[in-house]
Amino acid sequence: MSVIAVLVKASLNPDMVRAEPDGSIDVSAIPLKISDIDRNAIEEAVRLKQRLGWKLVTVSVVTWGPVSARMKDVRLAVQESLAKGSDEAIVVADDALTPGDQTLTAKAIKAALERSGIKPQLILAGEATIDEVTSQVPGRLAALLGYSYVSFARKLEVEDGKVIAERDLEDYVEVVEAPLPAVVSVTQEINEPRPPTLLQIRRASRKPIKTFGLRELGDIGKPSRKLLEIKAIQARRKQVIIEGETLEEIAEKLIEALAKEGVLQL
Amino acid sequence: MKVLAIAYEVKDAGELAKAVKEFNGEADILAVSRAAEQVNEVARYSKRVYRLASKSPYAIYKALENLVERGGYQLLIAEGYRNLRDALSRLAGSLDLPMITDAYTIRILDGEKVLVERGFLSERAKMKVEVPLPAIVLFIPRFTEPLEPGEEGEVIELAPTEGPEKVLDVKPKAMGDVNLEEADIIVGVGRGFKAKEDLHLAFELAELLGGQVGCTRPIAADLKWLSEDRWIGISGKRVAPKLYIAIGISGSPQHMSGVQNAKIIVAINKDKSAPIFKQADYGVVADLYQFVPILIQKLKEKKAKG
Ligand SMILES: Cc1cc2nc3c(=O)[nH]c(=O)nc-3n(C[C@H](O)[C@H](O)[C@H](O)COP(=O)(O)OP(=O)(O)OC[C@H]3O[C@@H](n4cnc5c(N)ncnc54)[C@H](O)[C@@H]3O)c2cc1C
Repeated sequence: MSVIAVLVKASLNPDMVRAEPDGSIDVSAIPLKISDIDRNAIEEAVRLKQRLGWKLVTVSVVTWGPVSARMKDVRLAVQESLAKGSDEAIVVADDALTPGDQTLTAKAIKAALERSGIKPQLILAGEATIDEVTSQVPGRLAALLGYSYVSFARKLEVEDGKVIAERDLEDYVEVVEAPLPAVVSVTQEINEPRPPTLLQIRRASRKPIKTFGLRELGDIGKPSRKLLEIKAIQARRKQVIIEGETLEEIAEKLIEALAKEGVLQL
Repeated sequence: MKVLAIAYEVKDAGELAKAVKEFNGEADILAVSRAAEQVNEVARYSKRVYRLASKSPYAIYKALENLVERGGYQLLIAEGYRNLRDALSRLAGSLDLPMITDAYTIRILDGEKVLVERGFLSERAKMKVEVPLPAIVLFIPRFTEPLEPGEEGEVIELAPTEGPEKVLDVKPKAMGDVNLEEADIIVGVGRGFKAKEDLHLAFELAELLGGQVGCTRPIAADLKWLSEDRWIGISGKRVAPKLYIAIGISGSPQHMSGVQNAKIIVAINKDKSAPIFKQADYGVVADLYQFVPILIQKLKEKKAKG
């Protein structure tokens, strides 16, 4: 049976960043959540699975450790994709792979697929994840697997052994065709993800999640990237809420404040 | 150390050459896409320029693979256009190279490592990272001022390789003629607006102030109410006006990173707990449909008085 794989990352949640007074950020204190655009990738994968009758497998690599403290968040992210219609999940989790880098993530995905004996015809991913926003894991994976690669797809169809997609670029849209097997990264605009229903969530708990550590994957190397410092970009804004009895009064006060700042040209 | 800079737009050549000059290096340039069309201008920033008349990610990837193997380049730099993210991520995978994106500064340590500062956590934070050479670094657009051009270098023509991905059709996007990067005042609109017609409020306000209208991603990319050259944020434009007035915008980190260099930020939002109020200098908690017409009226009165 043909297989679609969808890549899902439990990303650091940028809305839950707390900085120390000196601006430093303890990454281990930031909770993880499913990266927003992965939801679009899952939605698209489920749609294709239903239309083509293929099997859908979720693959997730834990990049932020320590693994023991992160598994709850990772499982939540993976279970969301199982609830939405993925048939099973493969999770790679090993403290030696954290904090991960994109080189290693792509290799880990490839190794985990191989170890599971899965050769996907199609691999879907989000255009970027919300913590690092690098857009590089799908392209690396395509090169490692020797697959064709279609990035930034805002529309996708699969037929006769090929994908046809609209790539969304800075100033033009390009319709491309590429043979399967292929890796496709999708943009936020490709669909409107629906949250899973309660029934779907309940059913998902019975679906299999296979977890791999480094020992099962074989030698895929170590992270080569060193994180030296992480600091908050301080929003040094005044945060003044302009109040007044009436909207007219507020408008006048606002104009006055902006005139004082020297930023109004009337 | 041998550096190869990939120019996608003509302007990239000067900016990348500047970055290389700062660490006392010299770079050869690969000119692709529009930079290849105007290769003579690009050639004024390097002694050796390769020209690849293509913007296909596969063709760029294969040309780079070839150049790196034969030319022994230790560092590849470019700006983060989508086609280049595509091409260079494939190259990174195939040659097993580290790749850092969204960089705004770069340093070379002992000729062996690169130290880069980049955005992190949807630009809520800054990250300092170090990777061993050889490596790939993609900068944010306009991360530095361009170098002054010099003598034209030699241009070497490369032939594009055909890949598995075939282009069936190309549709240019409708673009306005705005240049938000140059604007002193920007009125930003978000999903708080309920219909495209209502945007006239923002345009009227912008005109009154001598400013431009920008927007959040959903307004341009999803709803297509405005052209994409007005899209501000991490995946759109980065702007630095004196005044940014955000109307019906929630304040997502992905949007706000695009306006972090604004001098003054004003937020108009009906939800007093909207995150934007923590990232604004002046906030007005009000329904935009009631407040903006009054603001326009008051500004007109003020203008009439002189
Ligand atoms: C990888 C990635 C990249 C992204 N890149 C970008 C980017 O470059 N730029 C970008 O903008 N977004 C980007 N986004 C999307 C971003 O996360 C947000 O979804 C988006 O910015 C929200 O836009 P908004 O503020 O218009 O809409 P919403 O978040 O829906 O906010 C609408 C606001 O309007 C207010 N409102 C509603 N009605 C009224 C009214 N009558 N009067 C006053 N206020 C009202 C509401 O209280 C709310 O706060 C990106 C997302 C991801 C994951």
